[in-house]
Amino acid sequence: MDKARKIRLAKRYTSRTVVYLGATLLAIFFIFPLVWMIVTSTKTEMQYANDLGSFATFLPNFSDLSTFFGNYVSVLTQYDIWKYGLNSLAYAAAVVVGNILINALAGYVMAKFTFPGKGFISFIIMFLLIVPVETTIIPLYSIVHNLGISGTVLAVILPALVSVFNIFLFQQFFTNIPKEYIEAAQLDGASQLKIFLIVMIPLSAPIVATVATFAFIGVWNDYIWPTMVLPSPQPGEWPLYPIQAALTTIQSIDGVTTGEVMASLVVTSIPIFLVYVFAQKHIVEGIGAGGLKL
Amino acid sequence: MKKKLCTLLSGVLALSLGATLFGCGEGPGGGDEPTVDESGNTIIKIMVHVAQQSPEGMAYNRITDEFNASQTAKDNKIRVRVNYNPRSTTGTGYETELGNMLNQGTLPDIVTFDAPNTWSYAEAGILADVSELISEETQNDFFEISKNTYEGGLFGLPIQESSAGIYYNKAIFRNAGLLGRVENMTADNAWTVAEFEDICNSLKGRCDLPVDLQLYKAADETATYLLYPFILAQGGTFLSEDGMTATGYLNSPFTVAAFQKIRNWVDSGYTSYDASDVGFYTGKYAMYLSSGWSIPEIRNKYREQLGDDWGILPYPKGGANQAASATGSWSFGMTTQCRATEQAALVLEWLVSTESSVSITDATGMIPARQSAITVKNYTPGSPEFLLYDQLNKTGKTRPGTIAYPEFSSAFRGIVNDMRNSGNVSSIVSTKTTELQGNLDRYQR
Amino acid sequence: MVGISIAIIGAFLLLLGGFIVKDIVVAKRAANKYVHYTVRGTVTSYLMLLPALLLLCVFVFLPIVYSLGYAFTDYYLLRPGDMKFVGFDNFVQIFKNFSMHGNVYNATMNTLKFVVFVVPLQIGMALGLALLVNKPIRGMGVYKVFYFAPVVISLTVTSFLWVRILGGGDTGLLNSFLVQLGMDPVSFLYDPQGSMYWIIFISAWQGCGYQMLIFLSGLKGIDQTLYEAAELDGASKGRQFLAVTLPGIRSVLTFVIVTVFIGACKIMVQPMLMTGEQSFTITLNYLMYIEGYTYRWVGYSSAIALLMTIVIGAITFVQRYLLKEED
Repeated sequence: MDKARKIRLAKRYTSRTVVYLGATLLAIFFIFPLVWMIVTSTKTEMQYANDLGSFATFLPNFSDLSTFFGNYVSVLTQYDIWKYGLNSLAYAAAVVVGNILINALAGYVMAKFTFPGKGFISFIIMFLLIVPVETTIIPLYSIVHNLGISGTVLAVILPALVSVFNIFLFQQFFTNIPKEYIEAAQLDGASQLKIFLIVMIPLSAPIVATVATFAFIGVWNDYIWPTMVLPSPQPGEWPLYPIQAALTTIQSIDGVTTGEVMASLVVTSIPIFLVYVFAQKHIVEGIGAGGLKL
Repeated sequence: MKKKLCTLLSGVLALSLGATLFGCGEGPGGGDEPTVDESGNTIIKIMVHVAQQSPEGMAYNRITDEFNASQTAKDNKIRVRVNYNPRSTTGTGYETELGNMLNQGTLPDIVTFDAPNTWSYAEAGILADVSELISEETQNDFFEISKNTYEGGLFGLPIQESSAGIYYNKAIFRNAGLLGRVENMTADNAWTVAEFEDICNSLKGRCDLPVDLQLYKAADETATYLLYPFILAQGGTFLSEDGMTATGYLNSPFTVAAFQKIRNWVDSGYTSYDASDVGFYTGKYAMYLSSGWSIPEIRNKYREQLGDDWGILPYPKGGANQAASATGSWSFGMTTQCRATEQAALVLEWLVSTESSVSITDATGMIPARQSAITVKNYTPGSPEFLLYDQLNKTGKTRPGTIAYPEFSSAFRGIVNDMRNSGNVSSIVSTKTTELQGNLDRYQR
Repeated sequence: MVGISIAIIGAFLLLLGGFIVKDIVVAKRAANKYVHYTVRGTVTSYLMLLPALLLLCVFVFLPIVYSLGYAFTDYYLLRPGDMKFVGFDNFVQIFKNFSMHGNVYNATMNTLKFVVFVVPLQIGMALGLALLVNKPIRGMGVYKVFYFAPVVISLTVTSFLWVRILGGGDTGLLNSFLVQLGMDPVSFLYDPQGSMYWIIFISAWQGCGYQMLIFLSGLKGIDQTLYEAAELDGASKGRQFLAVTLPGIRSVLTFVIVTVFIGACKIMVQPMLMTGEQSFTITLNYLMYIEGYTYRWVGYSSAIALLMTIVIGAITFVQRYLLKEED
């Protein structure tokens, strides 16, 4: 091996090491609060207080394995958190499917069709994207009540089916799919709906994964609206509240320990994390895919 | 293919429109008849602000179960259903929901509410006047200061009372040679602000912090609730009688001076905005300003650290021998949308009955708001609970009555918050007063 | 309520009809027949848009129109029956409060500070991470998952965690270490000068993973031969970034700037959960929430929302104009 090559290899090796080192430090920076959350969830209040200020605060409770899952046991058995979790899963499933079909259809039309009034509709979409929506919960409550669906799961699902941002994302994505695909299908005599379902949706797997993930996260993390329109749990009946309601209940109880709160945070965060890990490959391709235009 | 398009679209349409049209007009509540179930029982709905799994929630659960069990009549029974609606971290969810329910005519029959909201809820027509529905005997048994009155009407009865006091760690006081000065203090011979300051000064260096006033709790109502007696005891004022004028009251020289005192205590190292909320529990702080709800906390969770070597001292008296202590807790009230008022009144009486008061206060550590329950509890003089009860009767003062209570509390907490970073108390108070007055004037327009 | 709702939707449909007619007329008059509408295409388009439009109208558009309409009323949450039209009264009050340096002033300044700092910080962090993760080195996929993790955890959870980390006294995680090192605990979140910067930092920490992914998809779309050509020309890494990478992700960058900007203007949850109502961290959206829900003055709160919409809309419009590609 000649010297020059050796130096080149050594250089490459050091630069790689630097990159890995930097990337690892950054990774610690981004996940240490989450690691701390998981670690703390295994501790009793005393262990938590004693470990603060030393490195042990970042280590799980290995000293007393009998209490390792104690917080999880108390959170899962005392508060029926799994029932609320199943509710959230059901809401999320309905919302994800509906959200994709409805918004993709709208995005597809906005991207690929020319029709009178399109300019006006895109203006409305942009406008709805900008308005702060925090105060609209008051009129929304009245509307839902007047529709007669308050107190039912429809009050949670229907408003969540449509999302301006998702229409916008789909529109961006479909704009970049060449017209030839559609034209070829049209020559085969396919209807517009068939083209949408058989050609466009499969082509848009990445964006579908993206929207699905974020729709899921949105439903999973929603709290104020569902608890406002759904009846609260009755003893002996299956509750309708979503998982975040259980989380708030746990946090609102006086005397709940830090470890219990952390355990409930871990339990409620796991499903979204799993969904993300499964979908993340597609998400990367999905969001930008060849350029977004405003 | 067109057919498929139609099928899909009509499917989606049916889903949304169908949901829209069905059930229209049969919204919950709002009818003229009381809600009656299939076996002819009258349903009384109650909404409470606590979680079912909390000690207080479990007490409600027990009491309402007992009520349902007590209904032995063959027909026309009253059935109670409780809706547990714990407040979220931001604390406004429960109140917003009440507002929404009021607008839509979906209020339950009985709700819980925080005492300072009595004026606004009564004025807005959320709460109904129950003075004609509740027996004279029950009404007279409640402490005058605890009743939720507004313009001569009775709009609710308290679940319990929530007097606060200054918890102290006897071991720290003993080591500092100060125990003798405070040990036998009662509401009658309470210390003065000057003595309080003197003791804080002597405690400096003998513990991590002489007193934790929970100044860091100024994000929620706790700070207003705990600190307003300090201001009142020193001659401070908050609002005019009608609750609509702040100028000249909140910025009166006495009020400013009293707020200045709190800021001075921070500067002198007596208390701190950065105190830990478990500092007293873990034996690091000598004193802790808190409500009765800390009693079960100490007895159940921190017995190891504090044992029985602690007590509660009354709020210090102001210069002119004025005294004030915190009062006002959550209460049960009947709503204006309740149709079965007679049945609801029965339930209401049950919820605040002597037995219920005892049962709930056993769970929460607070003191009952009615004499008969106090008699049952039979507190021993010298015990923490006795001091809270004694103080309530002798020096209890309510928070200012106003329909704009959220705005007032916000201004009060704003002053406490802003004093953290600026010693110019009079300018802080004057800014907050002007802003509060602007907010109060909105109600006049 | 029902009558007004039908009227609003009717007005919306009328407006839509007007624009449809206008578009058709313009297309007919245009010399080049570049835009060509067919009845069939139009009907199909609207049929396919129908589900989304219907839901949008009822659950998004209608509430927003109501809420913006409330801006001109004295709607008080607990007295809906007494609602009356007050013209620009709410706006006058808002400007009065602003000029006396009340909460409106604080909220405006804090929001401004937040937007000015968080937009470049978050976008810079996102771009940096994207460039790092895009390196053709093994294991970068795993790192990407780590960097994105805060995005999927809800704001409520991350805010709660950071409050525990930055908390005052010696119970905060960071302070517990400072105390061990013999230093005095610092009150990070309640320092009027520093608090907003912590919120900016935490928001960027939480959000940048999402923009990282968007940049990453942009970077993947760049033709690799362009880099090779630049290398042959002897261009430095920095030069390559300016000449190849930036133009390559231009449209993605525009998208990121506009969406991060709009999101930043609406910041509310972080100050609400991390410091509560404080003059030095209150933001416009948070003030709107307090006015509408805590004080129950829905009309006043809606007036703030309307003002925000106008300002954000105007700035977004200018941004779009400035960032528009030449073509």
